[in-house]
Amino acid sequence: MNRLAEQLAANDMAELGLHSNNGSSAVAGPSFQLAAGNNPAAFAHQFIDAKSEKNSLIKIAHGTTTLAFKFKDGVMVATDSRATAGNVIASQTVKKVIEINPYLLGTMAGGAADCSFWERVLGMECRLYELRNKKRISVAAASKMLANLVYRYKGMGLSMGTMVAGWDEKGPGLYYVDSEGQRISNDLFSVGSGSTFAYGILDSHYRYDMEIEEAKDVARRAIYHATHRDAYSGGIVRMYWVKETGWEAFPLEDVGELYYKYHPEIQLTNSVESPLAVASSA
Amino acid sequence: MFLTRSEYDRGVNTFSPEGRLFQVEYAIEAIKLGSTAIGIRTNEGVILAVEKRVTSPLLVADSIEKILEIDRHVACAMSGLTADSRTMIEHARVEAQNHTFAYEEPIPVESVTQAVCDLALRFGEGADGQESTMSRPFGVALLIAGVDERGPQLYNTDPSGTFWRYEAKAIGAGSEGAQTELQEQYHRDITMGEAEVLALKVLKQVMEEKLSNTNVQLARVTQETGYTIYTKDELQSVISRM
Repeated sequence: MNRLAEQLAANDMAELGLHSNNGSSAVAGPSFQLAAGNNPAAFAHQFIDAKSEKNSLIKIAHGTTTLAFKFKDGVMVATDSRATAGNVIASQTVKKVIEINPYLLGTMAGGAADCSFWERVLGMECRLYELRNKKRISVAAASKMLANLVYRYKGMGLSMGTMVAGWDEKGPGLYYVDSEGQRISNDLFSVGSGSTFAYGILDSHYRYDMEIEEAKDVARRAIYHATHRDAYSGGIVRMYWVKETGWEAFPLEDVGELYYKYHPEIQLTNSVESPLAVASSA
Repeated sequence: MFLTRSEYDRGVNTFSPEGRLFQVEYAIEAIKLGSTAIGIRTNEGVILAVEKRVTSPLLVADSIEKILEIDRHVACAMSGLTADSRTMIEHARVEAQNHTFAYEEPIPVESVTQAVCDLALRFGEGADGQESTMSRPFGVALLIAGVDERGPQLYNTDPSGTFWRYEAKAIGAGSEGAQTELQEQYHRDITMGEAEVLALKVLKQVMEEKLSNTNVQLARVTQETGYTIYTKDELQSVISRM
């Protein structure tokens, strides 16, 4: 804390245009450090580094594994539930799937607040679209709206990597939208620090013509293995299925329990007292 | 001073010496030229009914819309200049969504009504820093029906920005006759089934055309299902119960 304060005071303040409120007068007395108010975005950028975060003083929740893919009966969406702030686990029960409306889901990666706030804004705009046009918004239009919305704030510190999944007149829809303003459509996405691990599973097991049970299994495996290798992912597996009648949520599955399911061969050396041995033989 | 009425009815925000705003009063008059709309509150929900003036056989009756959804739990019937109502309905919808965004709850019916009435007063030159979108008063009256934690409610707004809560209310050309009839027929224990028949009966009495399933619109707002507009078939089944 003190080190941080010293560092701030000694190095950065002057460069950032911070000034004390009694100006340049020679009058002695208490003075306050004030933030330069004329360019808050530039000010914030000194402390936030959305790309590497290694040198940034403010750390926002970043580690995540989220995935979504289209298959013959709709879209599967699955996420982990861990929130990290630097190397601290802030929460193991985060809801990274945002229910925009009964037909649209958004996923959360990057800044948790950025995702949940802007996807709530999106939800509001989608409802107004419905009232104005008397029909549900398409996934393409909804994702475009989100992309346009965040593009207006490009370079100002927003951090979000989100997938918008839903069902419209054209059938299942899946888009990736991020805070850089990028928006792409595909059959399969994974976002977050654990995405490389998830892609490993998805690329070797994904098929478009899967049944729902198989789709759930692939999604569950991908999230599980990501949480196993990525320290910034963990908690529970949350799965959603978007179909013609809207989305459906599945029961939560603790990755700690899935460990026994996916590694039955793992035994501790003192296997008699080992809980692992008991569970794996069951 | 020889100030006649005509000299004070120019400015929209100028009081006459008797303390009247003529343009607002004229706007209220304009509503009395509009098609009749009726709202009836029951303990289960609210019924809205409007007459549609199908002025030509070539006119597509479905394109006339005088009952609109504001949010799932609030709807609105109108009489007067329909074009003016579009601004008000859009405002009400945005207010309803903003409320839900900020407080994570459906907007109370009275708050929607208040929001509409705030807009109704925003005419004229516009005060300091306040953008005025309308140069004259809105020539439309609304019946706002909705359900919230206070139960089913019915409100009536007019161009002066005033609103009242009613058990049953008629607005528009046939409002006088219709209101008298409602006063006689309405009772506190009225059911939704009775209310929808009553609404159409009263409408039938004041309409010039013969009532059919194409020249009236009927809608209900209930706690369970929210806003629902009656289909032609549903409308026909109510007509057959009359």
